[in-house]
Amino acid sequence: MRNLNFGYGISRPRAIDLDNNDLRKSNDIIAEMPELQACIGCGSCTASCTAGNLTDFNFRKLHTAVRRGEYKGAYEELNKCMLCGKCRLVCPRGINTRALIMLIKRKLGDF
Amino acid sequence: MTFDAPFTIPFTVGCFFLLVAIATKWIIWLVRLPRTDKRLIRRNILSLETLKGVWEVIRESLLHVRIFRVNPMLGFMHASLAFGWFLLILVGWIETIAYLGMEWVPLQGHVFFKYFMPVNGITEHISLFEQLMDALLLVVLIGVAMAWFKRLRSKFMGMRRTTKHVLFDRIALSALWFIFPTRLIAESMNAALYGGHGFLTGSIGGWMANTIPHETLVTLYDPSWWVYSSLLCLFFVALPFSRYMHIFTEIPLIFLRRWKLRPTAQRKSYDNFEVEACSRCGICIDPCQLQEDLGINDTQSVYFLRDRRYNMLSLKIANNCLMCGRCETKCPVGINLNTLRLNSRAKRRNIPHEGRYKYLQGLDRSSGNGKVGFFAGCMTSLTPGVQRSMKEIFDAAGDDVWYADSEGGVCCGRPLMLSGETDAARKMMEYNSDLFRKHGITTLVTSCPICLRVFKENYDLEGIEIVHHTEYIDRLIASGRLHVEGGNESYTYHDPCELGRGLGIYDEPRRVLAAVGRIIEPQHSRRDALCCGSSLANTVIDDGQQLRIAQRMTRELEATGCDVVVTACPLCNKAVNRASSRPAEDVAEVVAKKITK
Repeated sequence: MRNLNFGYGISRPRAIDLDNNDLRKSNDIIAEMPELQACIGCGSCTASCTAGNLTDFNFRKLHTAVRRGEYKGAYEELNKCMLCGKCRLVCPRGINTRALIMLIKRKLGDF
Repeated sequence: MTFDAPFTIPFTVGCFFLLVAIATKWIIWLVRLPRTDKRLIRRNILSLETLKGVWEVIRESLLHVRIFRVNPMLGFMHASLAFGWFLLILVGWIETIAYLGMEWVPLQGHVFFKYFMPVNGITEHISLFEQLMDALLLVVLIGVAMAWFKRLRSKFMGMRRTTKHVLFDRIALSALWFIFPTRLIAESMNAALYGGHGFLTGSIGGWMANTIPHETLVTLYDPSWWVYSSLLCLFFVALPFSRYMHIFTEIPLIFLRRWKLRPTAQRKSYDNFEVEACSRCGICIDPCQLQEDLGINDTQSVYFLRDRRYNMLSLKIANNCLMCGRCETKCPVGINLNTLRLNSRAKRRNIPHEGRYKYLQGLDRSSGNGKVGFFAGCMTSLTPGVQRSMKEIFDAAGDDVWYADSEGGVCCGRPLMLSGETDAARKMMEYNSDLFRKHGITTLVTSCPICLRVFKENYDLEGIEIVHHTEYIDRLIASGRLHVEGGNESYTYHDPCELGRGLGIYDEPRRVLAAVGRIIEPQHSRRDALCCGSSLANTVIDDGQQLRIAQRMTRELEATGCDVVVTACPLCNKAVNRASSRPAEDVAEVVAKKITK
C-alpha cells in the first residue's frame, strides 16, 4: 500500500479563524461578483486549467481561500493564470471566472 | 470698400478661437507622436499616397461616399451639409472676386458679402452667382431639414437607433441647425430691402416686401445678421469640444493613415486623431449585438470613444465589448475600433513582475515529428472531436505532424492581450515561438482562430507559414492528397469573428464544405456574420447574457433548414452547442467523416 493517492490531499488539516481574518476585501469581491457564491466547489475549473496542467496552480483552492480572507500569496499565485478562459467554459454554475480572476488581482494586487 | 460692421465681431472672434483651438490640438498631437510614427511621416509624405489622400478627403470628408453605402438618404444628408456648406464658402469666395476683382477682402467681407453689397453701393447683380448661391443654400437647407426629420424618424435614414448626445454636442448641434435658416431669413430681408437675389432668397424677399411693413423690415434687418453671426460664433466655439471636431480631425487622419500610421496595443498620440475623428453618427449602434440582444446601451463604440475622449472611460465600458468587429466594418470613418478598445484596457502597471510565468522555462510537452506543426490551443482541448478529426486527416494525407500541445501546452497569449496585459502575453509568445523554432517546423496549423490571429499579427515567425486548419484541409483536397466523397448533406457555415472579419478567411472553409456537401448561407454571413457571444474579449457580460446572444445566432443559423451547423472555431462550436438541440460540428469533423481511402 505504498504511495496510494486517492486525490484527497489538497489541503492539510488546519484551523481557519474567520473572526481574525480580515474579510473586507473578500466582502468587496463578493459584492462585486455575487455569482461567486453559486460555486459548488466541483473543481472543474482546476481540472481543465491550462496553468494547472503545468504547475500546482489550483483555482478552486485559491478562490476558496480568498473568500475566507486568506489572501497571503494569492496574487502571486494568480499570476500563473494565463487567462485562457477554459474554466469559464466548463463551469457548471456559469461563473464568469475570467472576470473573477481579474477582480481578485485588482483587489489584492498593486494596480 | 468698407467691410466693417459691429455684427461681424462675434463671427470674427469665433473664427479666431476655432483656428487657435484646432491648431493647438493638431500641433500637440503631432509633436507627441512617437519617433517611429514621425519617421513614417517623413518617409511617406512625398509619395503618391499623399495625392491619394487628397482624393480620399474629397470623397470622405466632403462627399461621404462610405455613408452613402450604408444608406443613400443618410449619405445625402451628410453630403448636403458638408459638401453643400463647403461649396457655399468656395462659390461665395469666387463671387466676391467676380464683383470686386482680385482686391483683398477680409474674411467677414466674403461671408457676409450680401450685407456689404448695398453698404458699398454695388447695385449691379450677377445673376449666375445669385442663382448658384441660392441653389447651394437650398441644398444645405434640405440637409438640415433631413437632420430634423431624422430626430423624429431615424428609420427613414436606415438607422433603428441614434446616438444619445452630451451637452456640448447638443449646443453645437442646435447652433448648426439654426445657422442656415437664419442665413435664409437675413438674405431674404436683404433682398426685400435692396432687391436682387436668386430664386429662393429673391422670392422670399419679394413676399416679405409685400407683406411686412417697411419700417419693421428695417428694424429687424440688422438683428437678423446679428443672430446669424452669433450662431456661427456659438458653433465655432463649441466645435473643438464637440463631435464636430471630427470635421477637422478626419482630414489629418486620412493623410496619417495613408502614410501608414496605425494604432497599436499600446496607447500613443496617434490615437487622438482616431478618437476625435468620430462624428458620433451612431452607425455602430445598430450592428452591436450587446444592444440588439441584451439591450446594453452605453458601451457601443460611439459611447466608448466619447468616454475616452472626455477622460471618463470606466473599466467596465472598456471591457464590455465582444470585439467581434461588426461595428468596425460599418464605421464610415474607418476608425480602428477594436485596437482602440484594446489599448484602453492596457493596465497602468501592465509590466509583469520578473518571476511571472517562470514555470515556462524548459517546458516541452510536444510529441511527434514533422515539418508540419499542429497547435490545438486551449479551446480545442475542450473539443477533443476536432483534435481527433485533425489527426485522422493528417494520417489520411500521409503527413508527418508535430503536435505542439496534445499533452497540454501553453496559451497563445491572445486572451491576456485582450485584457490589456500585453507585456505578460509577450512571455507566452516568446515561449511558443522558441518551441516552434526548436522543432524546426515550416508550417504551423491551428484549429483555433484566436491563436491564429495572434500568431499572424503579434508573433515573429518568419519562415514558418501559419495557416488555419480549414485552409490546410482546403489545400489537401485541392492538391489531391486528401480524398473526400461528396454528399447530399446541407451545411450552414458560421463565420467566426476572428477568422472572418479578423483575418479575412471566408472562402477556404466554404470550399471545403462544398467538396463534401451543399452550403446554405444564413441571413448574416461573411462580413455581416453574427458573433457567438462567447468572445474572450468580453469579461463583463455574464453567462446568461452570453447564452442569449448564442441563442439568437443559433436560431438564425438553424433557420436555413440545414442538416448540420458547421463552425471553424472551438469557442463558437461550444456556444452553438449550448444553444442548440443538435450538435454543431467543426469543419474538420465534417471532413473526417467523409474521407475515402
